[in-house]
Amino acid sequence: MQIQPSDLGLIARVAGLAKRYGHGAGAVTALDDVSLGLRRGEFTAIMGPSGSGKSTLMHIMAGLDSPTAGRVWLGDTDITELGDSALTVLRRRRIGFVFQSFNLVPTLDVRGNVMLPFELDGRRPSRDEQAWIDELFDTLGLGGRLTHRPHELSGGQQQRVAIARALATRPDLVFADEPTGNLDSRTGREVLGLLAVASARYGQSIAMVTHDPVAASHADRILFLADGKIVRDAGRSTPEEISAFMLSMELAA
Amino acid sequence: MRTRMKDQWPTLLVAALAGTFGVLLLHVTGLLAAAIRADDVTGESDTVALMLGFLATVFVVIAVYVSAIVTSNTVATVVAGRTRTIALLRLIGSSARAQRAQIAKEGLVVGIAGAAIGVLAGTGAALGIEELAVANRMLPATDYGYLNAAVVLPAIAVALTTWLASWVGSRRVLRVRPIEAISNATAQDREELGRRRGRNIAAIVLVVVGIGLLVTGVVIGLTDPIGVLIGLAGGILSFTGVVLGADVVMPPVLRLVGRLFGRSPAARLAAENAVRNPERSSRMTIGLVIGVTLLTTFSVTMESYRAMLLAAQAAQPEVFAGIEEMLNATIAVFTVLIGFSALIAAIGMVNTLSLSVMQRTRELGLLRALGFDRGQLRRMIVAESAALTVAATLTGLVLGFGYGWAGAQALLGGAQGEPVFVMPGVPWVMIGALIVSAGVLTLVASIAPARRAMRVSPVVALAVD
Ligand SMILES: Nc1ncnc2c1ncn2[C@@H]1O[C@H](COP(=O)(O)OP(=O)(O)O)[C@@H](O)[C@H]1O
Ligand SMILES: [Mg+2]
Repeated sequence: MQIQPSDLGLIARVAGLAKRYGHGAGAVTALDDVSLGLRRGEFTAIMGPSGSGKSTLMHIMAGLDSPTAGRVWLGDTDITELGDSALTVLRRRRIGFVFQSFNLVPTLDVRGNVMLPFELDGRRPSRDEQAWIDELFDTLGLGGRLTHRPHELSGGQQQRVAIARALATRPDLVFADEPTGNLDSRTGREVLGLLAVASARYGQSIAMVTHDPVAASHADRILFLADGKIVRDAGRSTPEEISAFMLSMELAA
Repeated sequence: MRTRMKDQWPTLLVAALAGTFGVLLLHVTGLLAAAIRADDVTGESDTVALMLGFLATVFVVIAVYVSAIVTSNTVATVVAGRTRTIALLRLIGSSARAQRAQIAKEGLVVGIAGAAIGVLAGTGAALGIEELAVANRMLPATDYGYLNAAVVLPAIAVALTTWLASWVGSRRVLRVRPIEAISNATAQDREELGRRRGRNIAAIVLVVVGIGLLVTGVVIGLTDPIGVLIGLAGGILSFTGVVLGADVVMPPVLRLVGRLFGRSPAARLAAENAVRNPERSSRMTIGLVIGVTLLTTFSVTMESYRAMLLAAQAAQPEVFAGIEEMLNATIAVFTVLIGFSALIAAIGMVNTLSLSVMQRTRELGLLRALGFDRGQLRRMIVAESAALTVAATLTGLVLGFGYGWAGAQALLGGAQGEPVFVMPGVPWVMIGALIVSAGVLTLVASIAPARRAMRVSPVVALAVD
């Protein structure tokens, strides 16, 4: 019998992952033999200097990009060779995204943006899901803004809407790539707190790229990347410990 | 700001087409006038030649006007897509006026190039037509001189309007604030519709006065032929009002049409996209509205006229022999002349839709990341294209039917000595042809943007520039 990733409590796994851009002398190795598993229900932070491959890793794990070598699983599904349609359905149903900016469809209001994943699936939220969505609107303080368009919202509010949308379908895994990169640090930390709560209170699995040691200190686990390799895999850490390690990485480089 | 050559092709094409059309039309009118002068029977009268010249001028003006709308819309769309670049240049000290002047200057150059192409192509085409017509004995050989000053007029008009249209279309440059280079505005392409009140009031006044005159014309037409002229003035005024107020008229029509496509996410987004830039969509559609309205007006009037002629022919076959052939030939010629403006408008729509979709690459990537499949993206773009063509065609048909009936009533209501109600003739062939053309335009306009959209990788949505 083969052991499935889920038997190990993993929600996502990559093995021997490599990603190269270009050919010959100009080739860039964005990821170099990365193997890792993300555990169900955990909030994982991914850190590392700019250009270390964080975004590339996240894109590949989310089925947005394909690796040059290695394999990728989401739950028990090997997604490495899935075609475009299958990946599209997978993103729609099993993955949530929060990007750094340009998260929302400008022509849809807040409610329309949050409901979009359901509508794409051609269904209405069940009674249970609707209750969950209402709770999300409540917790994220969006109750009074449901009919507002994105351009009527502040940056922080826009990110809250993106979080509501990412959590609404209760996906297997939420990917967040520097979700607070465009916010001032106070608003940013508020938004991150919401992600941390979603993970702690509701068991939502989250993988988040961040530069902020305070943000990363909310995470259950912190992965450090450098030059396309995982250089450290740490448990929950204090902001000071995280800063210290980041600094040592910079000095080593 | 210097625009890329690639962005100038559509403007050059439109200017060249309008120029060719104008020059060709003036040459052909000149040829006909020369032929009439050469004829012993008609040679004495100048009236026919004068009428021909007048009609040619009207059609050239319409074509040049439509191409000016198309050009200003193309320029405005290109400028909207360059907001960040413009803002960056502003940030480092370039003045908005200088950037705008540069765009207008390029418009003048492209306009002159288009006009030159128009003179050559139009004269060439006229020579070809003369050769053919003389060979087939449809025209006598004349001493018409191709080197006359009159044909330069449409060329000059094309060059100047392209310049002016680029100037008007680049108005948005002045509204770009330097801060937009560094801020992260989500609604970058939202064009505000501020301070349009003066224009809207003028539009309303024109429409109200125009309709008043139209009704007066119809009523007077029951007893006096002068009613036609009053009605004509009313028609021109009210339609000018509609064109002027396109920003107000078109978005509701677009919304209504958008609703017909259903509630699926692709259809709903398409409906929203069709009105996200009300100004742009209005200008995208109004050229088509003008073409379809004129075509429908003309063919409804002619169809009503035909019904009356056929009745007369049945009563006095000798007097009205051959009248139907003449009517059909007239309808065919006018259809081609008006259709040309519709063609220019269609080219404009194809181009603007393509530009608009290209400017939404990032949003398309976001939709892909969130789970839109390629088919949904394509359906969304086809539906957006359909919303625009259907809205334009429908508006044109409704307006044209109204004007056409009013025209027929004013023209024919008193023609038999007693006031009668003229049943509007329904030009089924024309309506059928318009619906088919709208379908073809929808597909043609969506081919390039849909293909590009389907190739967009979802990763672009996550990319930080
Ligand atoms: N589309 C691409 N083409 C070429 N090189 C790329 C592309 N995307 C990323 N890279 C390169 O891959 C490396 C990792 O990029 P990325 O994953 O975006 O890093 P991070 O998110 O950690 O800043 C960088 O050197 C980057 O220049
Ligand atoms: Mg990155």
